[in-house]
Amino acid sequence: MAAEDLQQLRELVEFLKANGIAEFDMERADLKVRLKFAGLQPPAAPAMDLSQLASAIAAQSAAAPAAATQAPVAVPATLPGATPVASAAAAAAEAGPEAGAHIVKSPIVGTFYDAPSPDSDSFVKVGDSVANGQVLCIVEAMKLMNEIEADAAGEIVKVYVKTGQPVEYGQPLFAIK
Amino acid sequence: MFRKVLIANRGEIALRVISACKEMGIRTVAVYSEADRNSLHVKFADEAICIGPPPSKDSYLNVPAVISAAEIAGADAVHPGYGLLSENANFAEVCRASNIKFIGPPPEVTRMMGEKSTARQTMKAAKVPILPGSDGVLENEEAALVCAEKIRYPIILKAVAGGGGRGMRIVRTKEELPALFQQASTEALNAFSNGALYMEKFIERPRHIEFQVLADEHGNVMSLGERECSIQRRHQKLIEEAPSLQVTPKLREKLGKTIERSLRDIGYWNAGTIEFLMDEDGEIYFIEMNTRIQVEHCVTEMVTGVDLVKAQLRIAAGERLKDIVPEVPEIRGHAIECRINAEHAEKFTPSPGKITVYNLPGGNGVRVDTAQYAEGVVPQYYDSLIAKLICHGANREEAMNKMQRALSQFVVEGIHTSIPLHEKIFADEEFRRGEFDTKFMERFLERQKGKGRD
Repeated sequence: MAAEDLQQLRELVEFLKANGIAEFDMERADLKVRLKFAGLQPPAAPAMDLSQLASAIAAQSAAAPAAATQAPVAVPATLPGATPVASAAAAAAEAGPEAGAHIVKSPIVGTFYDAPSPDSDSFVKVGDSVANGQVLCIVEAMKLMNEIEADAAGEIVKVYVKTGQPVEYGQPLFAIK
Repeated sequence: MFRKVLIANRGEIALRVISACKEMGIRTVAVYSEADRNSLHVKFADEAICIGPPPSKDSYLNVPAVISAAEIAGADAVHPGYGLLSENANFAEVCRASNIKFIGPPPEVTRMMGEKSTARQTMKAAKVPILPGSDGVLENEEAALVCAEKIRYPIILKAVAGGGGRGMRIVRTKEELPALFQQASTEALNAFSNGALYMEKFIERPRHIEFQVLADEHGNVMSLGERECSIQRRHQKLIEEAPSLQVTPKLREKLGKTIERSLRDIGYWNAGTIEFLMDEDGEIYFIEMNTRIQVEHCVTEMVTGVDLVKAQLRIAAGERLKDIVPEVPEIRGHAIECRINAEHAEKFTPSPGKITVYNLPGGNGVRVDTAQYAEGVVPQYYDSLIAKLICHGANREEAMNKMQRALSQFVVEGIHTSIPLHEKIFADEEFRRGEFDTKFMERFLERQKGKGRD
């Protein structure tokens, strides 16, 4: 392996360790990235949002394509949203401003959308006051748009997912205080 | 070949399918309820998606949740395993509409063979011997009496929409028929919202013999021989064997050809099993078809060398049978399977909980299919099967001896299992002689009670 590629591989490995990523998998043509976080503890760095993480890795790998292809770290990983991430988010909720907050969890499997349509404003954002029963988001399943309502009243203190992200049953969506 | 398959099941069969996919380089997606978060099928799949709370109806049987999971994971195909959604024609249709390949027969065929009296009519039309019975639904008691005269007592009345023993009555004389007809009909109406009944000849001491088939999507069908499944308790199989001591090579070939022709006629695809009853005279009659892979598929795998789950995947991907199973396999040796359930070996009460010790036997010709592990938890929400112990030997005697040895080394602590029950069965004279029928377990348990009293 060329010295330059080796250096980039080292940086990639450090990046993965710093963000508590236990498993990492990458395909090439479309750049699919899959991650699995280590254990149930939140990563050392503040829980990074997955799309930021994906762009960061994409930037890394664009600079190190040869390293990525040969990287022995490529291991099958879990879809984000399986146990470790959900627990990490819940654990992080204990620590930060979400401590003691009510977590709104997804009642169904599907794709999360934060707005009624691509060009609308989002239903809610951090800082908004919401009433019990107020529509917070949409989870799309089998082409049906399901409105997800708040099951508590209060202020939105955290949004755990990004629009377009797949979510599983029980996955934390919002923290309400 | 599929790039990614979602396994719409849990437990040992989910792990079985995941393993076959892994061997073929196919990515796997597991779905799980909250009770199965730490399951082996979840741990060993490439991806896993939580689809609901513990109850099956809200998770594993929840069609929108399963389909949604397949969509967000980008799965090309779904393998439904056995039980759960595997024979649900509606689920197969939704898969088709969602452009996800359902690994099994077309929904129309599943529907046709799933309805008992339709299945009988279909097989009869294809010249498969069926148990003498009514041609469809019995209009009333008078029609039932006429039919019973023709096919001769004893007869059994069965619910058209039924299963699990409900809406069934055995009638031995014409005097008892009218009252029993009413009882069966009412029970069926209450249980299945459909009081319609049909009639079949009743065999007092039947043997349950079933044939394994594979069919590709190009009209080719192959029979892979039979399994003997007479060791049952309350219609639940406990021990299965291949081949059956009662099936001669001539019968195997003749019935095999008849089955192949009938399944070609109905346009069957993928794996399936045709169940028969054999009467005291060795006559064999069709009773029903299971349009999926079965729990006991392993014994057929051991004697034929054919990996049935891989065959299912390849068939669904469009491959031809001649490339999957080039020649009709020879039946080699004898295989026996014991279903290890999490239940008390004598009281049969379910025994969910945490397994503290789990030592599996191994060795030449010993196979264990299980998704449990030490420190694993058996949840109370699902069926009690935790492992299948399969032994293959040169003949039945050797297979039985291996099974006894393997059972003695299968150590499970923390929960009760049926291992002690199997050990007693394998020491039983009647079982060892192979002269059993579906009433075996009743007689065996009577003998055990007798021993208890001595």
